[in-house]
Amino acid sequence: MSEWSSYRLQDFIPFTSDIYFRLLERMGEAYWPLHLLILALGASAFFLSLRGRARIACFLLAPVWGFVGVAYFFARYGELNWAGNYMGWAFLAQAATLTLFSITHFGTEVSPQRRGLPFFAGVLIAATGLLGYPVIAPLMGYSWFQAETFGIHPAPTAVTTLGLVVISLRGAAMWIAAAIPLLWITVSGLTLVVLDAPWASAPFAILALGLAGLVWAEMERRSDRAKARQAPDKRGLPNS
Amino acid sequence: MTQRFTRRQTLKLIGAGIASAWLLPARATAAPGAALEKAIPGTDETLPVIGLGTWRTFNVGSDPQLLNARAEVVRAFFAQGGGLIDSSPMYGSAPDVIGYALKRLGNPATLFSAEKVWGPAGGSAREQVAELAQRWGVKHFDLVQVHNLDNWRENLAALREMKAAGQIRYVGITTSHGRRHAEFEQIMASEDIDFAQMTYNITHREAEKRLLPLAQEKGVAVIANRPYDGGNLIKGLKGREQVPEWAVQECDCRTWADFLLKFIVSHPAVNCAIPATTRVDHLNENMRAGRDPMPSASTRRRMVEFIESL
Repeated sequence: MSEWSSYRLQDFIPFTSDIYFRLLERMGEAYWPLHLLILALGASAFFLSLRGRARIACFLLAPVWGFVGVAYFFARYGELNWAGNYMGWAFLAQAATLTLFSITHFGTEVSPQRRGLPFFAGVLIAATGLLGYPVIAPLMGYSWFQAETFGIHPAPTAVTTLGLVVISLRGAAMWIAAAIPLLWITVSGLTLVVLDAPWASAPFAILALGLAGLVWAEMERRSDRAKARQAPDKRGLPNS
Repeated sequence: MTQRFTRRQTLKLIGAGIASAWLLPARATAAPGAALEKAIPGTDETLPVIGLGTWRTFNVGSDPQLLNARAEVVRAFFAQGGGLIDSSPMYGSAPDVIGYALKRLGNPATLFSAEKVWGPAGGSAREQVAELAQRWGVKHFDLVQVHNLDNWRENLAALREMKAAGQIRYVGITTSHGRRHAEFEQIMASEDIDFAQMTYNITHREAEKRLLPLAQEKGVAVIANRPYDGGNLIKGLKGREQVPEWAVQECDCRTWADFLLKFIVSHPAVNCAIPATTRVDHLNENMRAGRDPMPSASTRRRMVEFIESL
């Protein structure tokens, strides 16, 4: 038997479902009612993104990523999984990246088109992260403190950010800012699969929609650039 | 009409009340028979055939609620005559959680502490063992194993030195999921080890071909890990099947835990199986499986045929 073929997904999740859901609950208990403040921050970032103010939206999102990196990964998840500390650093890196984009305007000076797949996909994903995630666990019979909330728990933070990135960033900035959210949504989905959570398919649906939005936005950008190159300049000559 | 009691009747009633308060709970919680124990080859020491694994289940971090819940699992384990607890530095906070439970229980005398050394945890084998002993709150481990044959030459040499110096009592090697059996066999054949830990359950019986006979031949004690195949096996059976009546008749297998664990520990080469659980009721089921009667060789064959027919 090949050694690698003997490994299963379960071998990489070093805790059982009661431990994981208790971790979510502990985060909820420890920081309530901060949820409301951070949720308001997320809603503000959402509306700013819709209005083309990506720079301020990135500025608002950055500390949220830093907080989740420290409070969730370094302080709690890292106790359960050695990979947790690496994810903590990844969340801090995301916070630094969003801050940098906010300061340098890199990738943020794009007015979102309020139509097309990327826009609607982004709005749906961000709304799911902000409003849908907190009600999943209670609807499935778990306690309200186990409800995953943007800015407190990593999955809705990653989902909401992915949605806002799809709406308001383009080019290299879009891909850079989407990388860590995509990574964590994948890890989160795989974790839920191993733990037999009834909503384990939700992160993969979000992932598929997010990737579709990102790829579509990239294709639109390339198509727009090609059109701009072919459009005649003021002297009637095609742009070179 | 008012009933009147004589002094003798009153004394009898008080006596009966006191006796029932003392005796009935003890009878209700007492196990139906003594836990079966098997000797560690080459020694007079015996181990209860059902141990306690901690992979995934004991990695609860610093959560007080879950720490107390796991301490109750450990309490139930020792209350039913449990001995061997197995952990690893790979299991996250599990060694700390065992330490918490043992401290609450006042370090039970029947504890047989089994740990492992594992490269990614950092430090030398000696340093790891010292740190793990501190986390468990024990002076010395009974058994330290080389986890998944990780850097086994160097680690096994270090563990043997520690054994010679009286810092640990037994040394061993581990594998799981049927990995690296050829190399495992070669080490069992050529090295002086006391314990070999491997995956052995009713659906994963590769060890029967070479490793278990070799363990008997060389006088190596065997710990069977993944007795429920990571939980999938018992979950699947509980969900769709009743324990067959002949298993109840032949070896008192009333639950699937009985069926699966008795199959493992009735193999003559196996000393101990280490099911892991988060729940006291499951722990109680597991511990019950360590009591007589055990299946005969022909019943064991029938058990395999039954599982393969599903």
